[in-house]
Amino acid sequence: MKHSTALPTMRIKAFCAAGTVLLIVLAAVSLFTGKYPLSLEGLLSGDPMQLRVFFTLRISRTVVGILGGFALGTAGFVYQTVFRNPLASPDVIGVSSGASAGAAAGILFLSGAAAVTLSAFAGALAAVCLALALSSLDRSGKNSTIVLAGIAVHSLAQTALMCLKLTADPERELASIEYWIMGSLNGISSYSISGNLLLCLICLIALFLLHRQILLLSAEEGEARMLGVSVGRMRLAVLLTSTLTVACVVSLSGLISFVGLLAPHGARLLTKRNTAGTMLLGGILGAVLLTGADILARSVAATELPVSIFTSLLGAPFLIYLIIKGRQKA
Amino acid sequence: MSLFSAVSLTAGYGRQPVVKDLSFEVEAGCMLGLLGANGSGKTTLLKAVCGILPHKGKCFLEYNSQESIILEELAPRKLSGLCSYIPQRSGISIDISVLDVVLMGFNPQLGILEYPSAKMKKAAREALQMAGLAGKEEENYQHLSEGQKQLVILARTLAADGMLLLLDEPESALDFRYRYQMLELLKEWIGKGRRAGIAALHDPLLALNYCDKLLLLAKGEVRAVLTPGEDPLDKMEKELSEIYGAVSLQRCRDRSGCERLVMLKEAEK
Repeated sequence: MKHSTALPTMRIKAFCAAGTVLLIVLAAVSLFTGKYPLSLEGLLSGDPMQLRVFFTLRISRTVVGILGGFALGTAGFVYQTVFRNPLASPDVIGVSSGASAGAAAGILFLSGAAAVTLSAFAGALAAVCLALALSSLDRSGKNSTIVLAGIAVHSLAQTALMCLKLTADPERELASIEYWIMGSLNGISSYSISGNLLLCLICLIALFLLHRQILLLSAEEGEARMLGVSVGRMRLAVLLTSTLTVACVVSLSGLISFVGLLAPHGARLLTKRNTAGTMLLGGILGAVLLTGADILARSVAATELPVSIFTSLLGAPFLIYLIIKGRQKA
Repeated sequence: MSLFSAVSLTAGYGRQPVVKDLSFEVEAGCMLGLLGANGSGKTTLLKAVCGILPHKGKCFLEYNSQESIILEELAPRKLSGLCSYIPQRSGISIDISVLDVVLMGFNPQLGILEYPSAKMKKAAREALQMAGLAGKEEENYQHLSEGQKQLVILARTLAADGMLLLLDEPESALDFRYRYQMLELLKEWIGKGRRAGIAALHDPLLALNYCDKLLLLAKGEVRAVLTPGEDPLDKMEKELSEIYGAVSLQRCRDRSGCERLVMLKEAEK
């Protein structure tokens, strides 16, 4: 009896520790992977070119990989818990399509990477606010209303994106829109990321502080209310916060598929629990997945490949493995 | 003086009211049973008192001898600190430990960012023990049987320590022995301190033997109020037959000499 009571929390701690170690190794590899070759000796001896690449490009790219993956994993966990649906992900309420439409508008009408990022962020935020505002029209405040409103906004944003693509110059602009949508951590430098990362970090801290309320929201609405949760307001706050974290990431990187869906599932299948520890593990797995995928995206071919190819390529077999393993045990 | 009183409650889904202009009172230390056929408005009534369903009318809770509170005017947080609700079926559908489910009951007492204290964890363990689930603290709630889940939710309710218990068929999935154990526990618990309970019970026999008063509902209105310990059998028989079809009642004694009410189904004429 004794060992079985201690097991779940021990398991969660062990997996989190292992995940962190793996993440540190990947981060180290990520710092030294890329077109411009870096070496430890070069950096220590103070080669100016190497130092510049290291500080402006590699560190920021690695940090975005880690924090971005962490944010996607955590937000995915929050969405799946609040919507009580294993298929829910931040895309459900239109954040990704909003960001794509925003980025496309930025590419067409503005100039500079920072402007595109800002425009993508604005698009994501607009989509989410529109979805939540639409859902608040229905007073009963059901989960399904939010999902329906999200689907409506998603298709609206897709339509806007299509119109923007039609007007784009196919040689240059259309290509960069398509490339943006495929998602990549290429071109991230320390100049453009600090605002996004700061906001992302603040939202993540808020989510972890609210984790008890997030788990309470997974109960039925009346029940949650009688457990002292102001369901409508708390759900709005939690969804808005987690969507903001995702908006911060996708406006920098473009769409990254699968991480938000897969990482929390992995965490749950490994720990067989839903606690703050599971949420943390979801974040860590997301970070490992995105950092690992980004390393492959930079090193497999002569040119950079979209990172989503590798998040799916790494993620899908992992998920299948976990499902099969779970089956055998049960 | 009554601890809880509802005055002309009207509630329903959409425009059609399910519960119409209901008024009743519950004394301190008493359990009020709600009886009625399916669709007579038992669950709707409980949800209206909780404030989960929008409704007309008012619910008063006699907080102490000086202060009476109108439940409709309370913020959800405050309300949930005073009233505990056991739904027909808990909606918790995630993998979570039994202890964590019970600890949810302390949420009204905690700030949004606070964590349950060691004292609360101890109280939660004690509540689980009372419900007969000692040793199951770390088990996955989803792996329990429906009956065990109901006992966990009972433990959560006891731990939350509200003044007014609102119970919606809390024993529907329990087997014979645990039904009686649960009702004993609830009755004892309500008898201690300034508390009262309103319970829609699945089993009318339990209601007859454990509730101090019975509210008979038909089509969302009060048909009769019975006091099983005092009312003559023929009066109760008549009223219960209106709900359940022809039934007969008898008073029997168990081996310890305790008087019990037994209801038998009679052939319909």
